[in-house]
Parts: sequence; structure tokens; C-alpha cells
Amino acid sequence: MTSAAKTPGTERRINPKGARYLQRLGTQWQLLLMSVPMLLYVILFNYVPLFGWVNAFKDISNERGTLISFLRGENPADYGFNNFTNLFKPGAIPFMGAIRNTLAMSLINLVMGTVSAVVLAVLLNEVRQKTYKRTVQTVTYLPHFLSMVIVVGMAKIIFDSNERTPGPLNSLLLGTGILREGPDWLGQPQYFWWIIGVINVWKEVGWGTIIYISAMTGIDPCLYEAASIDGAGRFQRIMHVTLPGIRSTFIILMIMNIGHLLDTGFEIQYLLKSSGTQQVAYTIDLYVLEYGTGKQIDYGLATAAGIFKSIVAIVLLTGANFISKRLSDDSLL
Amino acid sequence: MRKILAALLCLSMLISLVPAVMAEEPITLTVFRGDPGDQPTEDNKIYKLIEEKFGVKFNFTYLTGDLDQTLSTRLASGSYPDLFDGGNSADLIISGGALINLLDYVSPEKTPRLWAHIEPQKARLIEKDADGNDVLYIIPNYGLPEGPQIALSVGGPAFFIQKQVLAWDDYPEIKTMDQYFDLLERFLDANPTDENGTPYTGFAILCEDWRHFCLINPVQHLMGRPNDGEVYICVTDQNYEVTGNDPAQEFKTETFIDKPYAKAYYQKLNEVYQAGLIDRSTFTMSYDQYIAAISNGTVLGMFDQAWDFGTATSALADAQKYDRTYVALGLVYDPDYVNGAEIEEHYLNGSLPNVRRGFGISTSCTCPERIVAMWEEMMSDEWQMIFNWGIEGEDYYIDENGRLNMTEEQYANTQNAQWKLANKADGFFQSSPKRQGWILNDIQVGDKVVKAGNCWEPGNQDEIVFGLMNDYDKEFLAAYGYSKFADFVNPPIELAPYGEAWQIDYTPVSTAHDNFLKVQDEQLPQLIMCEPAEFDAKWDAFVAEIQPYADEFGAFMQDAVIAEAHKVLDNVAE
Repeated sequence: MTSAAKTPGTERRINPKGARYLQRLGTQWQLLLMSVPMLLYVILFNYVPLFGWVNAFKDISNERGTLISFLRGENPADYGFNNFTNLFKPGAIPFMGAIRNTLAMSLINLVMGTVSAVVLAVLLNEVRQKTYKRTVQTVTYLPHFLSMVIVVGMAKIIFDSNERTPGPLNSLLLGTGILREGPDWLGQPQYFWWIIGVINVWKEVGWGTIIYISAMTGIDPCLYEAASIDGAGRFQRIMHVTLPGIRSTFIILMIMNIGHLLDTGFEIQYLLKSSGTQQVAYTIDLYVLEYGTGKQIDYGLATAAGIFKSIVAIVLLTGANFISKRLSDDSLL
Repeated sequence: MRKILAALLCLSMLISLVPAVMAEEPITLTVFRGDPGDQPTEDNKIYKLIEEKFGVKFNFTYLTGDLDQTLSTRLASGSYPDLFDGGNSADLIISGGALINLLDYVSPEKTPRLWAHIEPQKARLIEKDADGNDVLYIIPNYGLPEGPQIALSVGGPAFFIQKQVLAWDDYPEIKTMDQYFDLLERFLDANPTDENGTPYTGFAILCEDWRHFCLINPVQHLMGRPNDGEVYICVTDQNYEVTGNDPAQEFKTETFIDKPYAKAYYQKLNEVYQAGLIDRSTFTMSYDQYIAAISNGTVLGMFDQAWDFGTATSALADAQKYDRTYVALGLVYDPDYVNGAEIEEHYLNGSLPNVRRGFGISTSCTCPERIVAMWEEMMSDEWQMIFNWGIEGEDYYIDENGRLNMTEEQYANTQNAQWKLANKADGFFQSSPKRQGWILNDIQVGDKVVKAGNCWEPGNQDEIVFGLMNDYDKEFLAAYGYSKFADFVNPPIELAPYGEAWQIDYTPVSTAHDNFLKVQDEQLPQLIMCEPAEFDAKWDAFVAEIQPYADEFGAFMQDAVIAEAHKVLDNVAE
């Protein structure tokens, strides 16, 4: 049935399709050429390093000699999944603690960052005075370009809790009589996550508004006019026109951010932590850094932690995407 | 091909060992220094001399960034600088196989000067490799002095106090912990701020990263021992009654932080914290902030090692705030805290070879013989004078009695970093083998003679130390009737056979050791800041938490200390 049923017509239909595809490729060769560097970049820096995952299944313990022999290309002993089970054994830096800290700081950053960016974007969108709007935009997104070292340096001055010579924040709180006693901002674990959240908002809020503002400019002005004619006030226009207008942008950004939930990075925590706060400061990235290159060198364990992170990120991303697809039609993948 | 030629050339030099051959083919040696530093100037006069004499130029790379990461990357690449200084992580490049065994080139016959230099401490320096062969990878950069030990000032750990505080109280003798904190408290009450209105800090505790020894090390010293890192070792029998150790057990080693005798110190800190001597920001302070605070002259006292705040001391001296510089005190517990025992302090220890610190020659080097032969020649009196003192008439002078001295201008030069880049060979010399201590024989320099009894290092020479001392310090010492700042502490004791226990490699128990430190990092600041009423309960909780790690680490250290001691004792017995 299969062979006999073939008609000349089907063959003709396949061939021209393939040819058309090739022809289209041919006419767009400039575009293809332009995409080559990006393709190479992704292959070289995102796919090739995946070969390093083999480290996670090798015994590259903190015996320095073993590590060196590995770096030289000698093949260390297979280790099965022991590195993964070792992750959850008690160590100097507990991995479970690192996961908790990462998630906590991520959520705080995600919520505070998104809310502040949306609010600022809406407010800016309502500003009709062009120069003022531009100035605010520029001023708020400039900190994005500052190095984390500088930002943390500034934070350390601002949050300085010296009792005799307090920093600006404590001087303000004590001077205005809001508090009797200046909190030990950087020395006590309970403030640490929130300080990181505040620093991130300050640094990234302007940058975060850019996409929302551009989404808002895409909203058809007729909608606003129609809403005003129907008697909607400014607040109602925001609620019923602006916010629904940026909904799909918001959801796509949210999905992407959820995929990066475990990516709190390490710079800010590394720079800001002290003996009193280190148990709430260690993130997964810091854990990988410490075991990958630090004093406690153990490549196998560090790689296992990295893989764990990647897998959780993939699960989170597809999960968020799935839920969003179910709830609405917006999805990333 | 060129490599083979070079190797052949080196081989021929090894056979002939005629120094004249060395200048034949000029070479440039690549040099890595495991610490940050600055490049010498192109026309540096000492490097010029080396080039003329040995035909050797240097291409320096100084550490930027993290040492362990840099060394790991170098090891992974498999090609090394000729002269390889691994700084404080030299163990990494040694176990990575990057260095050659110098014993192939250093021997009493081939290199008599180098051999004489290491011979007295060879039991500590020559190690056994995995196959049981004798190996020496690095000739220590410091710590092999000639003649009796020189101790002018405390270079290591001590409780420090600003000179103005002692002067304010009419130069009292401060010997115990209580006296020290009592004086700081009285001074702070009478002088809450300095002349500019900046508040004084009574007692600072640096806790940043590896410098947390300021927080966790003092107890052993209060108990009368020099620096053994994080363990207390009974060498003399003086404190057995306090610690309850068994005198029969040789080199009884224990972690001290979990013991009752440690509690007294941290309870004292808690007490003075309540009295406002310690500011809570001290526990979040970075090293830079710490140095800045000391350089301001507003920190009255701290426990630290003198080298750790050397830059701050220089800054204070530059600003001529001599009264804000520090005196090292050798404090011990008051008898009340230790069942009435009178503890004798020993902050100064016998001199210790700086084992595994300095240049090694890497396996990538094509002419190790030539470097060793150059070092051998450089260990001569003439070259050591050049490296240590410089050029006679330019950098120092020899007076009619054959004593070495400097004019004020010459001395000021040696304190000027820019001048040193053009006129000293520090980049090379600091990590090379060198002679220290006393000059034991007369040395002919040009038409003059340097008499025996001078010092190799200008910093130890009486004329320099006292001749150029500022008036404030002179008067200060005179008020005490002392001749040098080391007189505030006891003279050095003989170095114990195991050396100093902080040098022991903790790698086999690194997890326990990391946890051991982590608990201290977290808990000790909390103990110092807690309500006095809660202190006892919190201390007990701290001890309970740290116990398992302390036990594992302590047991490991006990074995390691005995093994280390026997290396030396058995060698001496042979």
C-alpha cells in the first residue's frame, strides 16, 4: 500500500518546497552571515563548557595533587553520583543553606525589583513633561552601569553602624529620633537579605523600567481616548488600559526571571558578607566559586552544585511557562 | 633546537663551574612573585650590576588577584616561570610538581656557601618525598640568621597599645589582661575623643577572612605560649596545673578555644564591650577600614601581629603622630583566672626558617645550574652587602670604626617606595636566599673594612635603629629605662622542636578545620556582644557546637605536632 500508493504529485509537492527553502536561504544569506557570530558565541560559551559536566562524576577531592593531575588531562577515578549525595552532607558551607539563601534573596529581588520597576514605569508614563521624564529615566538607570564593588562600597558607608561615628543612615534615624538605637545593619543576619534587595532595587530599577515603558508606548492611544470618553479617571485608565497593555510583557519577563531564580550571582553577597552574616550570605554561585577556585578546592563537588542549579532552573522555567500557558495564552517557548 | 643548545651550555657550565662562563650568553629569566608589587625601573642600578656580572636579566610578574586561582591556572597550563614563588600557597605548586629538587644542584662540594647557609636548619628544610628521597624545593627567603638572635621589636603577635595611653598614665608596667583593659577604659573615660573631636575606639578586633586570628588566637598567648595558630601546646611544665594536661605526654596539643581558660578572655571582652571599649562595627570591618582607623590614630589598642598593620604604622610615622604608634605588650592572664598560677609570657619565639617560602626553580627552567650558581655567588659577603645595604658612599657609609651607617637622607631613601624601585633589587632579593643576623667576619668593601659585629640588615643595625629614632620614641624608652621596644616583652625562648604549629598543613582535616573556624567566626562576635547575663549559657552552647570539630582537629594536630617534632629530634640524634 505504501509503495504503490505514491503518486507523482506528492513527489512534486515535496521537491519544490525544499527548493523554495534553499532559495529563501540564498536570498537571505546576509542575515545568515550576521547570525554566525552569535551562533558561534552560544556554541562556544554555552554548549562546549557542558563537557565540563563530566567533572561532577569524577573523584576530584580536595587533595590538591588529584586536582592538578586532572587539570593535566589525566583521568581521575569515576565517582558515580557521590558528588551529588555529598552536596547534601554537612560541610563547612551547607548546600541546603545555600539553596535557601539563594531562593530567599531571589524572591525578594524578584518581587521588589518587578514591583518597583512597574510602579516607576507607570508613573513615568503618566508624566507629560518630556524633559522631566527623560531626566528621571536617565538618573534612575545610571546606577545599572556601576560596578558592584563600587555599589557595595557605598552601601557599606551608608549602612555603617559604628556607634560612635554612625554612617548616614543611622545618623538620620538617630538624629531625627525615629530610633533610639541604631541597628547593626551589616553585622546581623536578619537585615542581610533585605539590604541586598534594597541595593538591587536602587541599582536596577531604572533599567527594569525600559522594557515596560516601551511596552506602554505600544498601547494604542485610542484606548486611552475611549476610556476617558467613557468617564475613566487617570487611576482607572492605569488600571484598565496601561496595566492590561503590558500584561504579556510582564508575564514573559516573569517567566524569564523565574528561570533565573537561582541566579542571584555572588558579587554582592561576596562583598557584603561578614562573619556575622555569612550563614545567610552564601548562595549557590558563591558555593560553586568557593569549591571551584577557593581554599576548599573540589571541582567535582562544585560542578555537581552547578549542574543541580541548572536542572532546577530548567524545571522552574518550563514549569512557569506551562502554568502561564494554562492561565493565559502568553508563553515564552 | 635552541633548548637543546641551552641545555648543553648549562651542562658544560655545570662541569666547568667557572664563573666567567656565566656571563657568556645573556639570558632573561621569567620570575613570578606570589605577592603584589611594582616593577623595577629600567635603569635599576642593582639589576644593572647583576646583568653585568651574571648576564642575567629578570622579567617580573607580580601577583594580581587571587593567589590560589593564579597558581592553579599556571599549573593547568604546564608552563612555569623560571623562578617560581608560590607565596603562602607554595604547597600547591610543590604538590603540583612544578618545582625541581634543589638537592640535585646544592651540595657541600658544589655550593659551599648555600650549603653552609641551610646546614644548621637542614633537619627542618630537607623533606622526604613520597618515595622517601630527600628533597628541598625552596631555600627559605627568610629565617636563617647568623649569630645570636636579634630581637629589637615585636614583629609578630602581641597586644598593642598606643604610646600616648601609656604616657598618659605615667608609663605603667602593663603585664596582665586586666591591667591592659583597665588602662584602656580609664583613658577612654578621660579622653573620649582626639584633638579633632574624632571618638577614640578602645579596642579593635579585625575579623576579616584569614585575618580573624586577631579574634581567635590571643588565648594561647595569654597562657604563655608563642604563636602555634589555633592550638595550645604544653612544652614547658609551667601550665600543666592550669590546663590539667598530663605532664608525661610529650607536646600535649589541644585546641584552646573550647577550654575553660579561653572563656575568661571572651568574658572580659564582653565586659569591656558593655563598657564601650569595643564597637560592634569592628566585626564587620574590612581590612582597609581597619588600617584606615589605625592610621587615623584613633584606635587605642588591639590584638594583632605587627606586620599586619605595618602600613598604618608607617602612615602614622609619616604624619609624625609618634604618640599614636604602638607598643607591643606581652600580656598574660591574671592569676585569678587560672587557679592562681603565675604565667610567664613568651610572645617572642626562637627564629624560625620560613619553610617553603621563597623562590623555587621550576621544571620549565632550562638552566637551573646557572641560577643555583648565581645564588651561590650572591651569598658571598660582597653581594650580600650590595643587596642588603646597597652601594657604599651612595646608599650607606662605613665610618672610621668599621661600622655601617646611613645619613638621614640615605635612610629616608630606603623608606621611599619610588626610590627603591630604581635602587634596590627587592623583586628578586626578597624571595631569594639571603643572609640575615650578624656579620660575623670583617668584610672588605672597596678600600674600607666592615668590621664583624655589624648587622646584615640595616633595620637591625644599632646606628640605624637608635641613631635615626625620633625624639618621642627616645624619650618614651628613656621613661621606661629600656633601650629597645622588645624590652617590653621577655627575650625569645628557644624554638620548640616542632617549630610553630601554624605551619602544619591542615589539608587532611580541612572540613573539620573549616567548620572549627566557621563556628568561631560566627559565635565569638555574638558572645562578645551578648547580654552579660546570657554569657554563660551562650558560652556553653558555643562549646557544645564546636566540640566535635575541635576534637577532630585537635587529635590531628596532636599527631602532626609529634611527627613534626620527631623529624627534627631524630635528625639531630643522627
